[in-house]
Amino acid sequence: MADRPEREVRRGRKGRRKVCSFCVDRAEFIDYKDVAKLRRFISERGKILPRRVTGTCAYHQRALTVAIKRARHLALLPYTSD
Amino acid sequence: MAEGKNLYETVIVTTAKLGEEGNTALVERFKALIAEHGTVQSVDDWGKRRFAYPIQKQTEGYYTLINFESNPEFTAELDRRYQITDGILRTIIVKRDPRHVAAIEKAKKAQKAEEKNIDVEAIAAEAVEAPAAESAQ
Repeated sequence: MADRPEREVRRGRKGRRKVCSFCVDRAEFIDYKDVAKLRRFISERGKILPRRVTGTCAYHQRALTVAIKRARHLALLPYTSD
Repeated sequence: MAEGKNLYETVIVTTAKLGEEGNTALVERFKALIAEHGTVQSVDDWGKRRFAYPIQKQTEGYYTLINFESNPEFTAELDRRYQITDGILRTIIVKRDPRHVAAIEKAKKAQKAEEKNIDVEAIAAEAVEAPAAESAQ
């Protein structure tokens, strides 16, 4: 799958394929205590950003949501902010 | 590692109302409780932090992280004690994967080493800048 050549479907929008930042770091797990890192994956309103925005892979996105939810429970991150 | 024992980490969030001493006293009580049923491996005091959202109309609290090893049965008891203790706003108990623990320790060491390097570089940069600034005057 990864070796599949770029299809021409990407008409109109230019742009590189995003790479999962956790895969780049070879992160085995995502720490709910690392607020600075988690903040990059939530919107201004406090929502968890979708994979299509951040480029996170499915595996790490799943781990990320758990980490963000734990951080929210401890009031390290907001559930919502307005 | 003893049979049937797991690694856990727990974060306790207490009210700012308790004050510094009240918080340490409470944490000490829980440290003792954990030590009775397992072993406390490390305690990390994060100090007072602002909440991301108000909890019971309060905006600040003391955070303490405790890493420990115990039987899985103990976590239920620990949680029960958390629930009936006044002054605790939030808690979490998470099992730590031993495979990850080694990686974390390594990363921490690397980070510390990096910080030291940066310090050295910053000092070196300052040393270079200082004479330059003098000559500019």
